[in-house]
Amino acid sequence: MAVQFMFLLSRQGKIRLTKWYQTISQKEKARIMRELSTLILSRRAKMCNVLEYKDIKIVYRRYASLFFIMGIDQGDNELLALEIIHRFVEQMDKIYGNVCELDIIFGFDKAYHILDELLIDGYVQESSKKEVLKKVAQQDELENMDEFDNILA
Amino acid sequence: MATKQMKGLNSFIMDLRNSRDVEQENKRINLEINNIQSKFKHHYASNEVSTNTNSNGKDDISLSGYQKKKYICKLIYIYLLGYSEATNFGVREPLNLVASTVYSEKQTGYLALSILFKRSPTSSLKEHLNDLMDVMNGSLLRDLQSNNEDFNCLALHFISSNFNIDNERIDTEGSSKIHIVDDQDDNARQWLELTDLVFSFATSPIVAKHTRKKAVLALHVLFKLYPGVIISNSNWVPRILSLLEENEDLGLLTSSIPLIEFITTSISAKYAKSTMSSIARYLHRLLIEDACPKEYYYYSVPAPWLLVKLLSLVESLFLLVDEKTGNTVLTLTDLDSTTIGNLRSVISRSIQNSSQPVKGLPKKNSNSSILFQAVSLVIFLNASNEAVKGAVNALIYLLDSHETNTRYLSLDALIKLIGRGSISDVGNVFFTNEFNILIPKLFHLLSRDKDVSIKRKTLDLLYTLCNGSNYINIINGILEFYPHCEYSLKGEVAIKVAVLSEKYATESTWYVTTMLNLISQGTSAAASTSTNSHGSSTQIGNEVWERIVQIIVNNEELQAQSCKKIISLCNKSSGSNAVSENIIKVGGFVLGEYGHLIVNEKSDGDDDYSAESQFQILFSGYFRSSLSTRAMLLTSFLKFFEKYQDEPFIPDIIDLFEISTQSIDLEIQTRGFEYLKLCTADNSKELLSVVTRQFPVFEKKVSPLMSRIGNVERIVGRNRSSSFVNPHTIQQQKSAKSPSVTPPPASGLTVPPLNAPFKGVGQHRSVSTLSLPVTEEIDEDESNDDELVESRNQKTFEGEEDPFHDGVKEKVILSPNWYHGYHRMLQYDAGIFYENQFVKILYRIIKANSNIQYKFTIINNAAKTAGTNLTGFTILDLESSASKTDPNYLIQLGNQPEQTIADKTTFDVNIKIRNIVENDESPIITLSFNSGGSFNQLKLKFPVCFLRTLTSTNQIELEDFKKRWLQIGEQLPGPQGECISRTLTNYRCNSSNVVRLLARLGFNVVYSTPDNTEAGILVMGAGILHSQKSNYGVLVTIRSTDDVGKEFEIIVRCTGGGISEVINSSLREVLEGKF
Repeated sequence: MAVQFMFLLSRQGKIRLTKWYQTISQKEKARIMRELSTLILSRRAKMCNVLEYKDIKIVYRRYASLFFIMGIDQGDNELLALEIIHRFVEQMDKIYGNVCELDIIFGFDKAYHILDELLIDGYVQESSKKEVLKKVAQQDELENMDEFDNILA
Repeated sequence: MATKQMKGLNSFIMDLRNSRDVEQENKRINLEINNIQSKFKHHYASNEVSTNTNSNGKDDISLSGYQKKKYICKLIYIYLLGYSEATNFGVREPLNLVASTVYSEKQTGYLALSILFKRSPTSSLKEHLNDLMDVMNGSLLRDLQSNNEDFNCLALHFISSNFNIDNERIDTEGSSKIHIVDDQDDNARQWLELTDLVFSFATSPIVAKHTRKKAVLALHVLFKLYPGVIISNSNWVPRILSLLEENEDLGLLTSSIPLIEFITTSISAKYAKSTMSSIARYLHRLLIEDACPKEYYYYSVPAPWLLVKLLSLVESLFLLVDEKTGNTVLTLTDLDSTTIGNLRSVISRSIQNSSQPVKGLPKKNSNSSILFQAVSLVIFLNASNEAVKGAVNALIYLLDSHETNTRYLSLDALIKLIGRGSISDVGNVFFTNEFNILIPKLFHLLSRDKDVSIKRKTLDLLYTLCNGSNYINIINGILEFYPHCEYSLKGEVAIKVAVLSEKYATESTWYVTTMLNLISQGTSAAASTSTNSHGSSTQIGNEVWERIVQIIVNNEELQAQSCKKIISLCNKSSGSNAVSENIIKVGGFVLGEYGHLIVNEKSDGDDDYSAESQFQILFSGYFRSSLSTRAMLLTSFLKFFEKYQDEPFIPDIIDLFEISTQSIDLEIQTRGFEYLKLCTADNSKELLSVVTRQFPVFEKKVSPLMSRIGNVERIVGRNRSSSFVNPHTIQQQKSAKSPSVTPPPASGLTVPPLNAPFKGVGQHRSVSTLSLPVTEEIDEDESNDDELVESRNQKTFEGEEDPFHDGVKEKVILSPNWYHGYHRMLQYDAGIFYENQFVKILYRIIKANSNIQYKFTIINNAAKTAGTNLTGFTILDLESSASKTDPNYLIQLGNQPEQTIADKTTFDVNIKIRNIVENDESPIITLSFNSGGSFNQLKLKFPVCFLRTLTSTNQIELEDFKKRWLQIGEQLPGPQGECISRTLTNYRCNSSNVVRLLARLGFNVVYSTPDNTEAGILVMGAGILHSQKSNYGVLVTIRSTDDVGKEFEIIVRCTGGGISEVINSSLREVLEGKF
């Protein structure tokens, strides 16, 4: 199960977070995001969450005002990719406390950290919710320590 | 969290959010960028002045770590907004942050580098990665060597998320074959150093699990970049595979699977079997025994991600193809019964789970995803028809789901299941019931479902289901749906129908009718007034009508018939229902070419076949058609002109040519002008008849349709449904299908089967009057497929580099002290095979003629001394050194040992001796296990030799012995029947020693000299050797040649040619021992 990329798109078509697990040029990235944005925003709510795009599959899901869009390999399991998105959202929910779009805008670095604990190189690194939360909390702890050091310094 | 404290960042984001328009946003961003730029500049300027100011300096101009972090965060945010160009700041600042010892600064630095370090559009992937390596090498090494585990993690994480390449994608960049890094590269050392470090993280038992997870994934990334490392360090492989056994931590296991998959499928297929057993055992534990830690349940489904990954690894292992032989590496017969049983029960459990109604979307999704993954394995496991039926039924059940996704994926899984097996074959009546339920359901989906993606999948499934007996039903069903289908789907439907009709049609009339029906339903000519010459062909590609034309040209019988059909279609669709442009195109060609064949015929209905009527049909279509069609029609009119000089419509044609000379379209103008000249100039009659000469038969080998369907199939092929379809099964399918579609000779068809071109079966070619040898095409296609498969393998195996393939003959390094056990097993039926501080391995040999069973018992030695269990005990490999083609013996693992050994466990190895086994063919068994945190591997050889099949003869007398001895001498004189050798034993023997030895080996001792005689030792024995092919009698004489009983002469005579030598050298080894 290799995720190629993931990005968050607001209903207004703004990109909120991007993560690429492949090395391609910026131009290419922009093109993919643009094409997918139009494609996905135009889909109706009842339609299925999987589409084929070039030689990969796109899996997306909408949570409130945000679309979570993920490109996966042809051989990958689509439903499970959807559940990765769900797990990601669950975890953000836990950490931000009832996550909303604004949380992700202002706290994008944290969103990255959560994602990084979940996925590495497009592969699921840890599927246990508790583990990820624990690690992110530890990082917070470390950062707080840093702050504390700074104040003392 | 960090950003909470970063006020500047927050207010910057607020500002941007409050911007009234793009312009204001732009302005704000530019302002900020200028600000950051100047800040950084000042910072460096001041740093250069006073080099002593450290980064935390309170100096006004110099930036603190916090400030730098803030600015970098702002840059990232600007980047996220899409202003990617504005953030080209170089890497100095982020690198600076990475060098910081403050965690949050370091973290932001890494984050910024991974986002902001962009690949320039001109550099190749290799250049890009080397640049990145140049920049990062120092920082990464420092952080990897640091004692701070969090820093280790950051570095590992950076490696795995930035050095990643997509294996598939390299090909398209043209730099395939060459790995991103290879040994000749200047910086290969740097990569090697990095990989070494990461490897030690991944496999060290003392590193925290959390770090190891990241390390394993990073290692995978590095191996993909630089496979040379793992190929030259093949001793790493067992180490990595042992990760599968570290099953207490599911997270670690989850992250290890990609690496294990990479190694087993791309580096060394050697361990496929042992990996398979481990996975099967693990799947069983998770799904059946429910042994999953609580926190890994996802909505009460045990670790779905891990399950699916494991299942898909099983799938790829089954799909592995040996590059050299072209055979699949792993077949069911290679696996032991426990493994197969495990896999089967896992699949049936997943089917069972998903068939039960569950509440909650996540649970439903997880269950279904496991099901879809499991179903794809059914075919490999040689499942009974009942089992496949169960799977098909479970999937059909899911088609009714309210969940769009579930419907979509069930269709997908069905395509895969049906495409892989021979389920849709005509002969296979077992599934008639299922199909009878399924096909109407699919038609329902096709017409009712709201989602076009579902419809497309449904179409694919119908395509897969189609066979020689149901094609009429399926094609008609699709055609019925065609007029109502979504615009975007029309082209696909048309092509599928076209291909299916061509493939299965056995009756020419049916084919022509169907196809013309199909294209007549395309866009009406009137609807497209567009000047774009391709305007109307978007729905049905040009390929479709071109293909029809080709087939009509190549089949005389079809020509008149299709003319009639076209006229009737055009007449029917008069009025508001204008004629489809595609029909006009086909009509223009066919009537122009073959219209004369029917001019004098009377129609059964109202249709008028006269030349006048034919002309009017085309002429009325002319002005409603697009330019390209008009150009075509001009040519048709020229043909009319040539054929019917006296008809009243001739002036119309001349007029039309004249008008055309004024056309603004170059093509039409040219044609108009040329044709006009041809019609009016003197003496042009001859030239005209040359120009309009009847169309020659198409000889082009490539059907335009096939290229299109090829695309479709490739699209279908790329997704899970058939991408990995086993080429063998496809071939089987093909050969299974073709005879069944062959029309019965009684059908009275004058046209040889239209399906011939698509069948790719030679027998049709000879009878076919279709001179469109698409047969070749499909062959090419197949070979393409093969090539694809091959290139895939090439990618995976890297032929020459793979040390394991040629390696068999190389010197295998065995564990020290292996020989004692080996030698013992040569003569004793039970004893100790191997012992060290951790394990003791006992063996027992049970002989039954040509079948030999070795029963091994593993005893945990460490239990006594250290009180630890042996964990992760695996038989990594059991490799016979016999030749692969027609091996002299077969070796199979009877049952798997337990993985965790508190006290002891057992496993069996079964040997079937098929032929005379040479003495250098003994198998090597590779075992690995952990004992108290240390990883151990044993490579041991045990003897499989012909001598071990020996059983004693009935009691025979010395006289008898002598008689037979001479008989062999007569029948097989010389070295064929007899082998003599001399040997020197390590210790002194007396006669009874030798007698006992021979008796132990199974000889019937016929004669022996008494002990302690001066005359020396003489022992004679007889026995029977067994192989599956035949049995042989063997006679042996051992005689001492010195006085002390250390030097012997061994004489063996045997009824089979060449065997005596084998037996002789075995005996010598037993006597001497190569200690």
